[in-house]
Amino acid sequence: MSIQNFPVTGMTCEHCVAAVRSELGALAGVTDVSVDLDANATSTVTVTASEALTDEQVAAALDEAGAYELARGV
Amino acid sequence: MTRSVELSIGGMTCASCAARVEKKLNKLDGVTASVNYATEKASVDYPDSVELEQLVGTVEATGYTARIKSATPESDETSALRTRLLVSAALALPVLVVSMAPPLQFRYWQWVALALATPVVTWGALPFHRAAWTNLRHRATTMDTLISLGVLAAFAWSLWALFLGDAGEPGMRMMFSWVASGGDDLYLEVASAVTVFLLAGRYAESRAKRRSGAALRALLDLGAKDVAVLRDGRETRVPVASLEVGDEFVVRPGEKIATDGEVVDGGSAVDASLVTGESVPAEVGRGDAVVGATVNVGGRLVVRATRVGADTQLAQMARLVEQAQNGKAAVQRLADRVSAVFVPTVIGLAAATFALWLALGGGAHAAFTAAVAVLIIACPCALGLATPTALMVGTGRGAQLGILIKGPEILESTRLVDTVVLDKTGTVTTGAMTLHGVTAAAPEEVLRIAGALEAASEHPVAAAIATAARSTFGDLPAVEQFTSTPGLGVSGVVEGRAVLVGRRALLEQWALHADATTSAALDEAESAGRTAVLVAWDGEIRGVLAVGDTVKATSATGVRRLRALGLHPVLLTGDNRRSAQAIAAEVGIVDVVAEVLPAGKVDEVRRLQSEGRVVAMVGDGVNDAAALAVADLGIAMGTGTDAAIEASDLTLVRSDLNAAVDAIRLSRATLRTIQGNLFWAFAYNVAALPLAAFGLLNPLIAGAAMAFSSIFVVTNSLRLRRFSPGSR
Repeated sequence: MSIQNFPVTGMTCEHCVAAVRSELGALAGVTDVSVDLDANATSTVTVTASEALTDEQVAAALDEAGAYELARGV
Repeated sequence: MTRSVELSIGGMTCASCAARVEKKLNKLDGVTASVNYATEKASVDYPDSVELEQLVGTVEATGYTARIKSATPESDETSALRTRLLVSAALALPVLVVSMAPPLQFRYWQWVALALATPVVTWGALPFHRAAWTNLRHRATTMDTLISLGVLAAFAWSLWALFLGDAGEPGMRMMFSWVASGGDDLYLEVASAVTVFLLAGRYAESRAKRRSGAALRALLDLGAKDVAVLRDGRETRVPVASLEVGDEFVVRPGEKIATDGEVVDGGSAVDASLVTGESVPAEVGRGDAVVGATVNVGGRLVVRATRVGADTQLAQMARLVEQAQNGKAAVQRLADRVSAVFVPTVIGLAAATFALWLALGGGAHAAFTAAVAVLIIACPCALGLATPTALMVGTGRGAQLGILIKGPEILESTRLVDTVVLDKTGTVTTGAMTLHGVTAAAPEEVLRIAGALEAASEHPVAAAIATAARSTFGDLPAVEQFTSTPGLGVSGVVEGRAVLVGRRALLEQWALHADATTSAALDEAESAGRTAVLVAWDGEIRGVLAVGDTVKATSATGVRRLRALGLHPVLLTGDNRRSAQAIAAEVGIVDVVAEVLPAGKVDEVRRLQSEGRVVAMVGDGVNDAAALAVADLGIAMGTGTDAAIEASDLTLVRSDLNAAVDAIRLSRATLRTIQGNLFWAFAYNVAALPLAAFGLLNPLIAGAAMAFSSIFVVTNSLRLRRFSPGSR
């Protein structure tokens, strides 16, 4: 069981939140994704999963979801 | 083979949504998509291996809606109409020939004619029947009702004559006589020819119809494509779409400002003619607001984005144009207006004929044939030619005169233009800055020295002075130690003299104060709507240079000719009131509406229209586009922006008000021709109506009415070829 916070840029509305949640939620082992939306800056995405996700996994999923990026270096 | 399609995407709430849809579509094999958030449209190029439904499905799976806008560029309606026309014409021609030439009437010819005419009358004329039926349910009668009724009456009569009358007998010959022979006349050729002629007219019109949406694309193309964003002190070039509110970006001289924002660093002049139409670039500095898609003509600026995507002024302008074009109610066709009265009258007349024949004891048979004859003759074949031929000839003549008519249907608008709204910059004036005058003790020396210094600057006012100096003196002296103070002026050393050229404020910084003569010259130039700069060297003010937009040489005559046509000219501009009034006085316009934004221009045109005026608008700028679309007749200058040209009905190759005068005269002449055509189209048939009512109609008379009215209509339209541009 692991809970991780990811800083994500590029999210501006509820559509973005839904897109990010569905892509991250589709990753293996993920049980819950919650997003604290900050439309003009960096939003915080909290992922609950059975095993910790790597930054690469998250970045790939964000890219899949749209024009969103992990704020810290990948 | 790749195909392309435009999808309208629903449910996008931010620029990220557009990026997301784009990404998902591009993931499909071989698909290239670009999604525009502002217009809610996606243009997609896709290979044959991908189905259209797959594209829509992908968008929907992403959580948005997609609707197919257009599959093929040429409208299906036009090509369907062409097929209908060609097939009908091929079938109708033998019917016409065999019916009109008795020697060719072989045994059983009438049955062959019936076989050929049946598809023409049913399938060929289907668009008319369908429209007539729709109108009938709304209790309206239009041109379609008349056509459908006439064609069906002629066909039904012929069927009746063939099956129940004597016309079906082998070896029957249709001889021409002045006496109706009763039950054995055939009107198959009338039914088919009317159908073909009207289809031809419809086809010509459908081809000429404008393609909408082009104005919008031209407008959105104006925006910057990418932008140099400052992130952590470094510049990165990113597409404009990914710009967000709060981002700071760099705008170099000559570049377009990517989006609406506020200047945070630097100072420059911005050419905002796009939005304001103002010819003099506006000076901007820290804290000033700038508009996206306007051009930075001075120095480097750092701008913080305040609005992006659909919120920008450019996007709002695009929406304004789109709404104006969509909201433009279709003018009621002249032919339909005539038909609305004519059809009920004809039906009434047919009923009266029937009743009268019965009452006078003519018998049911004679009563019925007379009534149907009235319906047959009532539908004028030339009706279908009346409008398209006039539009075609008018459009062709216009093209020869440099008047490109894009929306010919607008020429049919039923009321005549009585007010002309003229945009100032680029329409009445040249739109380019030129030197107007030098006030100095030694004007030549002042111009030479100031020109030399200004040649080092890129500001449009400076460019105008340098150009004037160069054209007078050729080579100009060199400049050393050039410095530019944004918004104020320039300084430098020319021929060993320390020279200043700029606004009063710049010279005051150097403790140089304008004396009475100089102040008077400044005030005079400014009250004439010009920009005045002071020239000083060696600690003394040497003169005043006035720079401004120039009225085109032809504008004053143009305005006078507009008045001579009984039109009321109005000057409408985004520029300041003072220069607007100066220009208006110069060309002789009394009504001036100044300092209006693009939306204000639309409102002004609408206001005039609500006063019952029919408004023509002449303009060239992006800020005129929406007003051009709203106006009853939109006229764009050929040197203008694509957005204005696309939004207008007419484009003038010669950017001259006199061409606008000719355009309005041509549109009036075309409208008069259409009216004349409609008269002739109906006249011959109306003349034949009494004959039909008295039971004297025969195919000769029907054919003659058809031929004469068609010839008259065509020759009347051809008279438009002789339309000549008026004298100056």
